[in-house]
Amino acid sequence: MTGGLAIDNVVLVLLGVIALVAAASMLVIRQPMRVALALVTVMMMLGGIYGLLGVHFLAAFQVLIYVGAVMVFMVYVIMLLEVREPAEASRYSGWLLPGLGAFGLLMAALGAVVGRGATASHSFVATDAFTLTAFSTEFLNRYWLEFELTTVLLVGAIVAALAVIKVSRRVHG
Amino acid sequence: MDKVQLLLWLSMALFAIGLLGVVIRRNALVLLMCMELMLNGVNLSLVAFSHQRGDAAGAILVLLIFVVATAEIALAIPIVLLLVRHRRSMNVGEYSDLKG
Amino acid sequence: MSHTLAFIVLLPLLGFLLNGVLGTVLLGKPVSERVVRAIGCGAPLAAFALTVRAFLALRAGDYAPIVEPLYQWAAVGGTTFDVAFYLDRLSAVMTLVVTGVGSVIHVYSTGYMHGDKSYGRFFAYLNLFLFFMLLLVLGRSLLVLFVGWEGVGLASYLLIGFWFDDLTNARAGRKAFITNRIGDAGFLIGMFLLHQAFGTFDMDTINAGFASGTASVSGVSVTLIALALFVGATGKSAQIPLYVWLPDAMAGPTPVSALIHAATMVTAGVFLVARMSAVYMAAPDASQVMAVIGVATAFFAATMALVQTDIKKVLAYSTVSQLGFMFLALGVGAYGVAIFHVVTHAFFKACLFLGAGSVIHALGGEQDVRKMGGLRTRIPITFWTFAIATAAIAGIPGLAGFFSKDQILWYAFASSRGGSPWLWGVAALTALMTAFYMCRLFWLTFMGPSRMDAAVEAHVHESPLSMTGVLMLLAALSAGGGYLAIPRFLEAQLPLPAVVGSLEHYEHTLLGVSIALAFAGVAIAIFMFSTPSRAEAVRQRVMPLHRLLSGRYFVDELYERVLVKPLEWVSATVFLRGGDRAVLDGSLHGLASVAQRAAAVLSRAQTGSLHLYVLLVMVGIAGALFWGWRHG
Repeated sequence: MTGGLAIDNVVLVLLGVIALVAAASMLVIRQPMRVALALVTVMMMLGGIYGLLGVHFLAAFQVLIYVGAVMVFMVYVIMLLEVREPAEASRYSGWLLPGLGAFGLLMAALGAVVGRGATASHSFVATDAFTLTAFSTEFLNRYWLEFELTTVLLVGAIVAALAVIKVSRRVHG
Repeated sequence: MDKVQLLLWLSMALFAIGLLGVVIRRNALVLLMCMELMLNGVNLSLVAFSHQRGDAAGAILVLLIFVVATAEIALAIPIVLLLVRHRRSMNVGEYSDLKG
Repeated sequence: MSHTLAFIVLLPLLGFLLNGVLGTVLLGKPVSERVVRAIGCGAPLAAFALTVRAFLALRAGDYAPIVEPLYQWAAVGGTTFDVAFYLDRLSAVMTLVVTGVGSVIHVYSTGYMHGDKSYGRFFAYLNLFLFFMLLLVLGRSLLVLFVGWEGVGLASYLLIGFWFDDLTNARAGRKAFITNRIGDAGFLIGMFLLHQAFGTFDMDTINAGFASGTASVSGVSVTLIALALFVGATGKSAQIPLYVWLPDAMAGPTPVSALIHAATMVTAGVFLVARMSAVYMAAPDASQVMAVIGVATAFFAATMALVQTDIKKVLAYSTVSQLGFMFLALGVGAYGVAIFHVVTHAFFKACLFLGAGSVIHALGGEQDVRKMGGLRTRIPITFWTFAIATAAIAGIPGLAGFFSKDQILWYAFASSRGGSPWLWGVAALTALMTAFYMCRLFWLTFMGPSRMDAAVEAHVHESPLSMTGVLMLLAALSAGGGYLAIPRFLEAQLPLPAVVGSLEHYEHTLLGVSIALAFAGVAIAIFMFSTPSRAEAVRQRVMPLHRLLSGRYFVDELYERVLVKPLEWVSATVFLRGGDRAVLDGSLHGLASVAQRAAAVLSRAQTGSLHLYVLLVMVGIAGALFWGWRHG
């Protein structure tokens, strides 16, 4: 690893390890609230990684949107729906073993793909592409169509949300 | 192994773990959270590639994915809410009406 | 003159269409009987008038055949099939008989069918029959003839089963049609073989080809053709083995029996053979077969007529017998004589049938001769006309039947084309029986004390003029028709066979024998039946034979057992259960059930379990990546 034991890389590895452990723990934790907290941890770690890679605003957005909006919403819903399952009910679906087997296969496949294409030839281009100005200009110049499409998507989501409210009002008075 | 490869391995692992979680866990909300994990894994790989190429395109895509994922969660959770209220069970395995 | 023949053929068709639409319940209420009568009789009478005109034109042209093409029916490859009409001596004679006798029978029907609820339909069908019969007689090619052939079969079916509310009548119609169709198979084979040899269906071309010796047909083929056509003739003209439909056909109204099953349709087979005489002259073996079958049929039918008790059935068997005589004549090469007998037979048989109809009408529907008698003074016109016609058929000298039958007997004996004493012997015996059973019929119906039911007897009345007038006309023709010298008229076209030289001097002897037989038959009949007890005594003495004859040799039962039942079994078991249900339905149902079972099995993959689906997605992704890794 280039840069040897530079503090950047150490922190990067540290963040990555914590993210991995937290992700793995999502599979074994029983209570949903704690699973949510594990996910928050992962996201925070990822945010940190983004920051280390120089994409600062993405890091900001990650924390703002993902943790700040999505996970808060998720936590709220978890609190709303009190879990009423009996304690001895299994947290697993019954497909545990096949799932693990498939997981192994998938990791092997992914690894084969990634391992093969060792793109060590690329040197890291130190760019200023990730400054906010450059990013915004790039975004709104080249990707304005995608931008517009996402606004349409958001409108669609709003409409769908309203519909869901209506349905729930009709069903549950 | 360089930085990018390491990050790729991490992203793959996150993705695979997320997918495994969808297969394994019974609770509907936990399922949703595992799907979020998958999305995050993909985001990480995109950022890693973007960093490698020095091109902002990957980062822009990640931004768009944020938006889409947010919209999706905003709707998926209420749907789960309504379903659970209707059927009084958080167990995804019980929602098998499309059997046969 | 250009389209006279076409008009002759098409006028009855017009009558059929008009009466069929206006005279039936097709458009609601049918028109009055008067209108139906006018159309129904007008068409045949007009056709007859045109026929006379055509005949005169033919004569003016020195009897050169008149050909009238109508239109081209089809062109297939290099051959064309045309519809054309052809008038020569033979078809002129036949057309005159068909339109003439046909017209008078139409007139008779106006009285006989009066009051029937399907008055219009009857005349429509009768006109339809006439149309097809004229097509048959005037067609130039075998194809047109065949259309007419089939058409008269159809008309016969429709008219036999005219009162179809009674199932027996419907069955009789069906029997006639099916039996005819069997014969038609032979006809078609003969037709196709002829086409193969000559490349055309035109009969005049075919005959010319045979006559000039340019025919490149092998001997075997000609015999085959001749026999095949004859098979068709046995069906239509009720010879052994396909005669069984004719007695049953008496279920139809009496004018139908007279027109179709005595005067015209049944003679179509005779006409066919005479038309294709060149074929038969080139096939002596087939002709011999024809003569033998003809005389055998004549004999058998006559034996069955001896004991029949239904007035129409006697006449039916008599018709079969007389047709046998005609085929005998054809078989020994005397084609013109056979046609002569067709003409005289048309006169007296129509007269007899219509007379029987008059009797049935007078007795309010009674047809059993055992319940008749003493009608001489009650219905005199019917009586006298019936008597004349009976004498004619019996062969009393001077009347029509005598001349034609005697000529047949003579040529059966002395023709150089297959005449033999055996043929003559059987034929003479048949002639004796003919005289006997006809006189028996006459006596039992009209003479002696009345054996009628009281209720019937009270209402006995003579038929209206529309019926008796026709009877008188036909009786006159039966009496004088023999002087028409038809064989000589046709000789230019259908040469009479040469007589074996050594036998020539027997002519007068045989003539005497014929006369003697006729009188003998009549005398025996009068002797037996003038005293009822005598007839009864004779019957008791020959009871087993009588039973055999009354049972009509049980031929129908034989056919039923040997042909019909096995065929029905095959149809029901092999074709219905095996073929239709097991194979066809089974394969379709099998296909459906395979699909259903496969679906049931495959739908087990749809467990509704989200986890499973995602698991499969996972495995799929792994697989796709591996594949990409391998091939990328």
